[in-house]
Amino acid sequence: MHRVFRTFAAVGLLALSLAGCKFQPGWGYNQGYAPEQPLPFSHEIHVTKNQMQCQYCHNQVERSKHSSIPALSTCMNCHLQVKTDSPFIQKLREAYDKGGSIEWVRVHMLPDHVQFNHSAHIAKGVNCQTCHGEVEKMAKITQVQDLSMGWCVNCHRQPENKAPLNCTTCHH
Amino acid sequence: MSENNHEHMHEHSESELSAELAAKKAARPQIERNNTHWLTLEHYNNDPEFMKKAETEFQSSPLRESESEGGWARREFLKLMGASLAMSAAGCIRRPVQKIVPYNKQPEEVTLGVANYYASTYFDGNEGLGVLVKTREGRPIKIEGNPKFPMNKGGLSVRAQSSILSLYDPERLQGPKHNIFNEKRSNKDTVSIKWDGLDDKVVAQLKKGGAVVLTGNVASPSTRAVISDFAQAFKADHVSWEPLANEEIREGQRASYGEAVVPQYRFDKAKMIVSIDADFLGTWLNPTTFGAQFAAGRRDPKKLSKLVSFDSTYSLTGGNADIRVKIKPSQQLDVVMGLINVLVVNKNLSAYANNEKFKDSLVSYANTAQKLGIEPALFTKVATDLWENKGQSLVVAGGLQTLTSRSAELQIAVNFLNSLLENEGKTVDGKNGNPGLKASYAELEKLIKEMNAGKVKTLIIHRVNPMYALPKEAGFAEALKKVDMVVYTGDRIDETGEHATYLAPDNHPLETWGDAEFAKDIFAIQQPAIRPLYDTRSFQLSLMTWAYLANVGPKRLITFETFYDYLRNFWKEEIQPKAAKGKAFEDFWAEVLQNGYVGDLDHSTAARSFKSEAFAAIKPASNRSGFELALYPTVQHGDGSSANNSWQQELPDPVTKIVWDNYVCVSIATAEKYHLKQSTVVELKVGDKKVELPVHIQPGLHDDVLAVAVGYGRTRAGRVADGVGQNMFEFASFAGGPVFAGQEASFTKTTKKYNLASVAGNNSMEGRMIVAEATLKDYMKNEHAGVHRHKTWSIWSGHQYNGHKWGMSVDLNTCTGCSACMTACQSENNISVVGKTYVLQGREMHWMRVDRYYVGNPADALAVFQPVMCQHCDNAPCETVCPVLATVHSDEGLNEMVYNRCVGTRYCANNCPYKVRRFNWFNYAKLIEKPMHMALNPDVTVRPRGVMEKCSFCVQRIKEAKNKAKLEDRKLKDGDVKTACQIACPTQAIIFGDLNDPESQVAKIFKDEPRSYALLEEWHAAPSVRYLSKIRNNDKETPAAEKGGH
Repeated sequence: MHRVFRTFAAVGLLALSLAGCKFQPGWGYNQGYAPEQPLPFSHEIHVTKNQMQCQYCHNQVERSKHSSIPALSTCMNCHLQVKTDSPFIQKLREAYDKGGSIEWVRVHMLPDHVQFNHSAHIAKGVNCQTCHGEVEKMAKITQVQDLSMGWCVNCHRQPENKAPLNCTTCHH
Repeated sequence: MSENNHEHMHEHSESELSAELAAKKAARPQIERNNTHWLTLEHYNNDPEFMKKAETEFQSSPLRESESEGGWARREFLKLMGASLAMSAAGCIRRPVQKIVPYNKQPEEVTLGVANYYASTYFDGNEGLGVLVKTREGRPIKIEGNPKFPMNKGGLSVRAQSSILSLYDPERLQGPKHNIFNEKRSNKDTVSIKWDGLDDKVVAQLKKGGAVVLTGNVASPSTRAVISDFAQAFKADHVSWEPLANEEIREGQRASYGEAVVPQYRFDKAKMIVSIDADFLGTWLNPTTFGAQFAAGRRDPKKLSKLVSFDSTYSLTGGNADIRVKIKPSQQLDVVMGLINVLVVNKNLSAYANNEKFKDSLVSYANTAQKLGIEPALFTKVATDLWENKGQSLVVAGGLQTLTSRSAELQIAVNFLNSLLENEGKTVDGKNGNPGLKASYAELEKLIKEMNAGKVKTLIIHRVNPMYALPKEAGFAEALKKVDMVVYTGDRIDETGEHATYLAPDNHPLETWGDAEFAKDIFAIQQPAIRPLYDTRSFQLSLMTWAYLANVGPKRLITFETFYDYLRNFWKEEIQPKAAKGKAFEDFWAEVLQNGYVGDLDHSTAARSFKSEAFAAIKPASNRSGFELALYPTVQHGDGSSANNSWQQELPDPVTKIVWDNYVCVSIATAEKYHLKQSTVVELKVGDKKVELPVHIQPGLHDDVLAVAVGYGRTRAGRVADGVGQNMFEFASFAGGPVFAGQEASFTKTTKKYNLASVAGNNSMEGRMIVAEATLKDYMKNEHAGVHRHKTWSIWSGHQYNGHKWGMSVDLNTCTGCSACMTACQSENNISVVGKTYVLQGREMHWMRVDRYYVGNPADALAVFQPVMCQHCDNAPCETVCPVLATVHSDEGLNEMVYNRCVGTRYCANNCPYKVRRFNWFNYAKLIEKPMHMALNPDVTVRPRGVMEKCSFCVQRIKEAKNKAKLEDRKLKDGDVKTACQIACPTQAIIFGDLNDPESQVAKIFKDEPRSYALLEEWHAAPSVRYLSKIRNNDKETPAAEKGGH
């Protein structure tokens, strides 16, 4: 009796908890996610206005699975001179001088059981924009694609891409 | 038929139905069973309980557990249930916010997501290994062998690989400590102090004189220099002692040849090897290097070497022997002297054949074969085989198992025999051994006397744990109380640390600079792979600091600010002139850091002449009856110093396959005679020492031997090791040299029972033969001997593999069963440790297991070792039964396991004929305590509860290699992809590669090697793993009637 009651309670709770969510495609994905960042870094200014290459900052993307966020020293290459009066740059400078860092909020997240490799895609000639949207026009980074498995596989399935479709391509 | 059935259904009673069912069952095709090879005694005897257990796929189920037993599990389940409810309530909120914290300045050598390897060394007190430390984002995650290193050549031991866990052990000391004792030194209070405070106190004390540095073997030449500088500065003494000291060998060498050295043994040059209780493949000196050398003589069956083992415990070396003879410790000397007797007296060989006086001294050893209970012809053959391979044979004896009261005589006899066989200077190289093996019980005994006499004012103890590894009768505990100040550099407050005044924790070897000389003139470097995690300081720097603060000692000791500077200077002044004359030091240094070592194992060496007067020390044979104690170190734990390591504890003993315990091994006849069962607790007595231990019935053991492992029974090692087993160092007798074997022992049966967790039989093939073996004579007649071929056909159309097709081969002839592959796999693939309770229920998680089969008559059983991992079948039975397609086939022949799809039906494990699938019954990964999580491999998913997992052929390594080749714009070549087990294997028994590349090593084996066979070929699962049959060089031929195994 006790157990039956407990089961009912659990199911009830579950139903309650889900009632507020929308059951629709895209549920659970982060499409459109654009969190506030500690510094209002604008890709638009850096890429479009100042014509910087993506790889100037994301310089390991060609040899690593990660397209890592650059070290503060990379920022300071320019910002020791450029826009030193901006309070944000001063904050950056302060962190740099103290040997500290900036805690950026991660926008593009994959589940723990997904192994994605940037370098493999770059080597194949996939543009950054294919997955990340028009980053060069973003004043604030937003997740454009839903980064769901269906979305990944869609591309891998195109015969012209000659991409592997094994499960272990991403999951191991 | 179907019509008939219908009728039957209606008309027949239940009993008739069941009779019919039985008839149908009987008409089913019979599984070919073969009981020549067996896993356990229950298996051999077809014990109904065992057979029932073997038939059940899962030995336990949560549903079958009673409330009391499963209490923990259920509570945990409810707790997790609560957590998942809470999470689902938050389901429509975004995922938890993750932060990315970039570097302040990007370190030049770090590419995120790409591993760096640092050449370094590992030393456990006896064994020295060249290693590569794999680091990711600046933290070590795995230890691999250095393939260039001239000794282990890329292979690695279990303990070297497990040492990564000890770096992240949460119970390490995080800074210096001070134990405040009461007057009687019986109670204490531990407080944290600063290094400055510690240094002041220690220096003030050192100035009073009477200092002694007690260390284990020191393989590092620069550390030896620091210690000798320090000794000079404070007029201190240096004493070396190690629980597994090699004093008997050194003393034997001194008596026989004049110089106290541990020789370099060359198993690669030996075609005929006789080992008398020297477990050179498991625990003696350099087992990994010896394993690699031994395999050189085993790889090609046409040039097969021969190993004869006279074994008092069932050692790994005994398990690999072509001919294994069980002996008791008191017969060790008989064996060697008996062999000499056969050669000199019976066969009239050598110059001694005319020396009547010499011959007379052998009289008492004339009937050794009868004494051992073996055919005299067999014993004679062993002796003549040795003689026929003069200069290419090797006789070895040594280690804890040979430390009887007659060990000195044994060593002299062995040296004499090697000299007689002209092996001296060839397979025994007395000039080029490890110069660091100086540990001595005699020196320790002297030290204890001095401590008791109050002459020792300060005792600095480094890397040894005498309070654990010495018996009480040694009197170390009392002597320690008479020392004013004890400084201990251990990494925890262990058995010795408890009694130290100050704890000055040393860095972990992965955190500190160092060097090593594992063989004469092979100089290796030890590089730090991570900055010290805690406020620790290297032992060498501690000594340097104390000398600096007292401002005494040689200039180099007090000039340098760090040990790194001292070391570099030492290499510049002492090592470079020897190793690379004329080269610029910076170039030399860069090269050493790159390669990890400099030097070579092959040196010219000359035979030393045996001092014939030494032989006079050997007394006539004696006869003993009654039980003899045989203590032995294990492959997992060695001397037990690193026992607080769950990988080591959960690694099945290579021979007994028991985890998490030590036990008394008794023979089958003894067990029957005294009505002992497996797991019966007995009280073991030696003199007035007593201990209660469970019984393990060991096939192939001498009836008079009671064998127990040392290295267990730690009391202050930490949560993993404390209270596991009993401390058998207590049973060593100490008066007049250490005695670990051959003491008179007795036992009394108790009514208690203590469950031993054995994995043998957990994954039984139910008697289906999966090991193939043949004798050399069989093989010379027919290269397919021992392998049963089948005609197979399939209802499947088969897969197309257009790109790569991965395959593996495992050579049972070179596999020694050392189990290094299991630890490698555990480290690479984030495999959970489950603990003894769950191993008892058959829930161990190792993706690969090493099966040990016994062969033949149980009283004299031989052994075969077989590593079994997922066979990656082309017609995989698991794939067809998964209802959610969580295990599928890749276009490269991999059987893929997709954790995020798996719902845990366990059908796949049920349908796997090889029993290689492992189910996550609990969230074991949740129990990983910080900072242990730093040892996880970020390329492999940490599996949660409720999913199946298994060997993936290290798919992350395949991907990494493929990606690397792609970025370098080249094709993948053979050898680019190496699995973790393959890398670790000391004997290179495992080969992995692309079967679609006809030039690859593995493709050639699949195609051409007559010894290769697939497991359960007749089932036509078409595995991607082939095994090469074991060939035993025992002069026997299998009678025609018994041929046709699998």
